[in-house]
Amino acid sequence: MPLPFKESEMGAVSTAMDQRAIKTETEIFPERSPKAARKELFPSTGSPSLSVSVQTFYSFLKRKPAGVRLERKKEASLLHWSIKRPYPPEKIRVPVPETSLPCVRVGAIVQVGQTIAVPIPVIPPTGREGAVPTAVTEKKLKIGTEARDPEGVSVHAGMSGTVGKIAVFPDALGGESLMIEILRQGETKAIPSPLPETRKGWNETPVEELLRSFQHSGLVTTDPSMEPVHAKLQRHAGARAVIINGCEPEPYLTCEQALILSHPVEILKGAELLRKACGAEKIIFALENSNLEMVELIRSKIYFLKWKHAKVRTVPALYPQGLESTLFQGWFPGNEEEAATFPASTAFAAYEAIALGKPFYERIVTVGGECVVEPRSLWLPLGISFQDAIHACKGVMRKPRKVLMGGPMAGTAQTTLEVPVMAGTNAILGLPQEIVREAIEEPCIRCNLCADHCPVSLSPAMITLAAEQKEFEIAAEYDVADCIECGNCAFVCPSKRPMTELIRRARVHAPRTATRG
Amino acid sequence: MAETAAFYEKTLPPHIRAADSLPKRFWGQLLALAPVLIALCLTGRAEILRILSVCLVSAVAFEFLAAKIFRKKENLRSGETLLAAALFALLMPSRCPSEILILGVFFAIVAGKELLGGTGSYLFHPLLLSRAFLQISFPRIMTEPMLLVGGSLWTLAAIGLGGVVILKRKRGYWETPVLFLAVCFLCETLSGGGGTTVSFLSGALLTAFFLLADPVAMPLTRQGVRIFVIGAAFLSSRLISGGFSIRTAGHAILLMNLLTPWLELWLKPAPYKTKRLIKATYPS
Repeated sequence: MPLPFKESEMGAVSTAMDQRAIKTETEIFPERSPKAARKELFPSTGSPSLSVSVQTFYSFLKRKPAGVRLERKKEASLLHWSIKRPYPPEKIRVPVPETSLPCVRVGAIVQVGQTIAVPIPVIPPTGREGAVPTAVTEKKLKIGTEARDPEGVSVHAGMSGTVGKIAVFPDALGGESLMIEILRQGETKAIPSPLPETRKGWNETPVEELLRSFQHSGLVTTDPSMEPVHAKLQRHAGARAVIINGCEPEPYLTCEQALILSHPVEILKGAELLRKACGAEKIIFALENSNLEMVELIRSKIYFLKWKHAKVRTVPALYPQGLESTLFQGWFPGNEEEAATFPASTAFAAYEAIALGKPFYERIVTVGGECVVEPRSLWLPLGISFQDAIHACKGVMRKPRKVLMGGPMAGTAQTTLEVPVMAGTNAILGLPQEIVREAIEEPCIRCNLCADHCPVSLSPAMITLAAEQKEFEIAAEYDVADCIECGNCAFVCPSKRPMTELIRRARVHAPRTATRG
Repeated sequence: MAETAAFYEKTLPPHIRAADSLPKRFWGQLLALAPVLIALCLTGRAEILRILSVCLVSAVAFEFLAAKIFRKKENLRSGETLLAAALFALLMPSRCPSEILILGVFFAIVAGKELLGGTGSYLFHPLLLSRAFLQISFPRIMTEPMLLVGGSLWTLAAIGLGGVVILKRKRGYWETPVLFLAVCFLCETLSGGGGTTVSFLSGALLTAFFLLADPVAMPLTRQGVRIFVIGAAFLSSRLISGGFSIRTAGHAILLMNLLTPWLELWLKPAPYKTKRLIKATYPS
């Protein structure tokens, strides 16, 4: 994929202090009246229908960011301040994404940080479907002009040892995927911490090399989407801003908070690398307004770095407001391509990859919940099983009713603890019966709570009532495609209806072309 | 640690639920209604005891019957039936014979609610529908003064107390009672009637807090609820030349129930992209 910059522009982009690159606040965020903004986006809209005009008339009454104020429960895992690295477990199973191919054989001895899988080169459609990329075909691809850059990333070993198996194992998302099993060998030694020194001249790396380094260090975004960072940066090339997301709206989760409080400057420098690679003008650090000490910390660090292009913005501490999908609503109305959002831990991993040359083989994970003896945030190698992760926090006090990957609002329930930690695993929670008990489902009494708490202003009651009757056209008419699946409607429902399940069903079956004026 | 590797539950998110539930809502309404019933007993309206007991017993009986016929669980635990019976008793005239009460309860629970699909599925408020049915069938008895008419200040204070309980629990929109009372008061004052008499106030408060608290037959948008309440208030003051009464308020709510699907259609949420543009930016 061609880069969005000319060679001559690259220098201008890479110097952060270039005054031409820094625009004033109003140029980057121009004040647009809602009417003008709508006209800009929908120039051909004729006379609005009755429903839209009535809605506009009433709009002044309901313009607050919607969401649920949840009990945050963050104190327990913040009690133990330091982010420790556990001793290496017996074995780890490193998941290999579909776009990568293992490059080690069974029985090989690997070291920490060694590449164990490489990205598959994209084969141009020549009629040889499903061709295995051998050395010969790879050579041919390099000669041919149609060959594109591989989209996948490299995978690195998180632990020294021998490769035990390369097979398909169950993963934490409920499916199965290819994994490389690494068995520990020899004496127990802690996984070494990152290098003591930064590379020379790391902050003058050109953009092309940045993207290549991100790919070869195996950097993927540390949110559940797990998109390769270089691919996301190329997709958002020329965006107006890079948003670094430090919000954790879900209860129990503190990994981003612990990381920001302990490594603020590193995260900011990683954000600067991402900004350069993206070609954006600004860095926006998004934080929740309940963590004012973090806001002050980041503000002071930005002040000492003398960055005029970085800025802290707060969002209300309501549940879905810190999620990536809701961050755009107020800031970049209508155009999601104008900014690229990365979690703060991704920015930290980008810094480590470029400045320290450390590949992405471990991530910070909160292990918590009421059932865990010592809830805390840990550096866990990718591929460590949930069982070993909980064991590193001194095990469980009582048997949990549910073990979740991620927070209690959007996380995935696990049936077994033999699944590995992935790049998108931000938490492992063991929750007892009294927290996650199920209630009896009752009929909808149309109390309208779900619509009042929907962050994207849908009418979940209408959608689910339609989905129950298999009227998927009506569900599509009520914009079920806009749902971000935050789970608020199911949380607030007094009848305890399975809203998420019904909405998913509606999304699968809804006709995609349904629109209305 | 081996024993923790057993089976865990596999469910869809969210894994936590709010503490709100239907039984809590119904029992909360009953709790708010209790002071009204006590005040009526204490202020010398002993008929309430007879009417209440007949309504409660027959409601429980019919609920069991309906559960048997329609093969489902009865709603006694959730308090829904008891709430319906207690509210129905308040809507009855003070010298209503017991067999008419039983017929009314039968119509409300079996015909008005269960035949139309049970909780959450009816199109009209079942109690008001039953009241209208009795009104047509027995016009002379049903036009006699109701329990609340000519009530004392104590009853009014008890209804106000119940209203405070309901507002405090935040189970409905605060606009519902405010808009209803304001529009009713305005209509009464403009037509020169007594906008401040005890019977008007107790009737309007009872309607605003207890009859409009059933969201099932009301529109599924907040704007729709506002228009519903304003329409109901206007109609209940203007439908009959005599001014506001609980009877006309009941008919007004039934008429607005008829309009509910159209209100929902007109006030359909706007497409998300349009809405997002109207949305104000966060303070930075």
